Amino acid sequence: MNLFPIALPALTEAAAEPPSGDVGNPATDFLQGLLPEAVPWWMLTLLGAGLAFAAVMLFVTVIAMFSVWLERKVAGHIQVRLGPMRVGGWHGWAQSIADGVKLLLKEDLAPEGSDKVLFKLAPMLVLATALATFVALPFAPGLVIADVDLGVFFILAVSSVTTIGVIMAGWGSNNKWSVYGAMREAAQVASYEIPLGLSLLPPILYFGSFSLVDASAQQAGIGAWAETSGQWFGMAWYILDPTRWLVSIPSFLIFFIALLAETKRAPFDLPESESELVAGFHTEYSGMRFSFFFLEEYAAMFVMGIVGVCFWFGGYSFPGITALEPGPLLTFLSILSFTVKGLLMVFVMMWVRWTLPRIRIDQVMSLGYKYLTPLALALVFVASLIEYFAFVIAG
Amino acid sequence: MTVATPPREARNQRSYWGNVFSALRSTAAGMRITFRYLWSKPVTIQYPDEKLPTDDRYRGIHYLEQDLCICCDACAKACPIDCIEMDATRHGKELEWHQFELDYQKCMFCELCVYPCPKDCIHMGKEYAFVTEDRGELLLDLLTWKGLTEQQKIRIAEAEARKAAKAAARKKKEAEAAEPPAAGEPPAGGEDKEDA
Repeated sequence: MNLFPIALPALTEAAAEPPSGDVGNPATDFLQGLLPEAVPWWMLTLLGAGLAFAAVMLFVTVIAMFSVWLERKVAGHIQVRLGPMRVGGWHGWAQSIADGVKLLLKEDLAPEGSDKVLFKLAPMLVLATALATFVALPFAPGLVIADVDLGVFFILAVSSVTTIGVIMAGWGSNNKWSVYGAMREAAQVASYEIPLGLSLLPPILYFGSFSLVDASAQQAGIGAWAETSGQWFGMAWYILDPTRWLVSIPSFLIFFIALLAETKRAPFDLPESESELVAGFHTEYSGMRFSFFFLEEYAAMFVMGIVGVCFWFGGYSFPGITALEPGPLLTFLSILSFTVKGLLMVFVMMWVRWTLPRIRIDQVMSLGYKYLTPLALALVFVASLIEYFAFVIAG
Repeated sequence: MTVATPPREARNQRSYWGNVFSALRSTAAGMRITFRYLWSKPVTIQYPDEKLPTDDRYRGIHYLEQDLCICCDACAKACPIDCIEMDATRHGKELEWHQFELDYQKCMFCELCVYPCPKDCIHMGKEYAFVTEDRGELLLDLLTWKGLTEQQKIRIAEAEARKAAKAAARKKKEAEAAEPPAAGEPPAGGEDKEDA
């Protein structure tokens, strides 16, 4: 049973028949085993949705808190400092928890003359979109909250709603710096949606599916793609296919640059450039509302990193893991591999942030429109040709 | 875009692909450098837990070898801002101390009090973190070593141990000098040095 039955027509044969076999929602399946038969289906669905939401919320919070701590450690060590060392004992591991508690206790302020409704709604909207994107991520074989056929499309669409939240925050704050930040965000995100979407097309053409679940299963050699599991020690990762290097490597680079701009990370952190705009769109926010923006940033980084991992680096697959029998061990190791890969991507984003200086808004625009978009378009063309000839050769 | 570019800049402008490759190359170079720094040893330390070693000549808070001191007032006279106060009563060879106070509200750590001491009993210590909430506590009584840190007490104990070892060595030398009268010359010179 699909929790979010977005009934979209299947684009390809592969998308129409998911290889993982079981498309049931793991949360509802789990509850079905626990509850008596007499429970009506709608209650099961609601309870399953609640369980899935709780799991996602917990996962996102833990990942975001860990990322914040990691960011501060990475920043510290790149600048030959130590970073947080005090809270919690070992290398300040509890720093994010302490910060969270502090933010929870802060006063919830709204500036005078601000649009109270927009101001209070914006952080919720922003966080909700970040949480919603986790729905389509395949954590392990068969473990996805909603097996959306157009998984990437869903993630890109929902994550771009964040922009609306940011504009609401900037406008509602009654602060010129916030409006500047929000406008920059709008311009930047609207520009970089194009290369981001285009750079995802080569892997989509390769896998013949928009679904992250299909892409992961295909690269892990699961289900209908079991015959590929012999390659590369059980990995049929897109980035490891030498016949596609001409497109896979440049498209990944373009994807990575565009995702930095999408997630407002340095060197594209113009919406909140602290040296010019105080803190951009979240200047006026305090306490928990501020931390929602923070949480969203790290959650979005993780989700975007996972999109990259699912399409180029084999999703949850890892040598040796996918050869295991389906079971709790496989699921656990897959989730571990998935999380570690996502955090590695997040680490690279941090590494970029602490290396490169922020670029000017005209440079952002010129990079997006004059370099990334045409290159991504050319790559889509080349990738189409390659996939066509590969299809012809394969017969 | 209509701004006229100077000819020199125009020559330096890269082509489209030149821009792409120079961006990739320079980003890679920068990332390599930051990655190297990421694994280098941090230069900062966890201050209150560990401290940077102070130089041997560092002029921190004074310490006084009280039983050597003869209350001659030389250091107080040498002090350019009069921040040393001392007072003692003499009972034969024994001194009954009343006061040896340093006012760290005034002291500028110039070390001028150390040089005139005939007994070499006042020294500049290595302690520098001396923060109090009350100005009165900045009047440090060196006699009772009040307000000194554990580290400083250890240093004083060490200095006293050294002094005791020196005295023992001197006694031994004197005993040796008394026994064989033929080797009287070198120990006599040594004694002169000790006095100076």
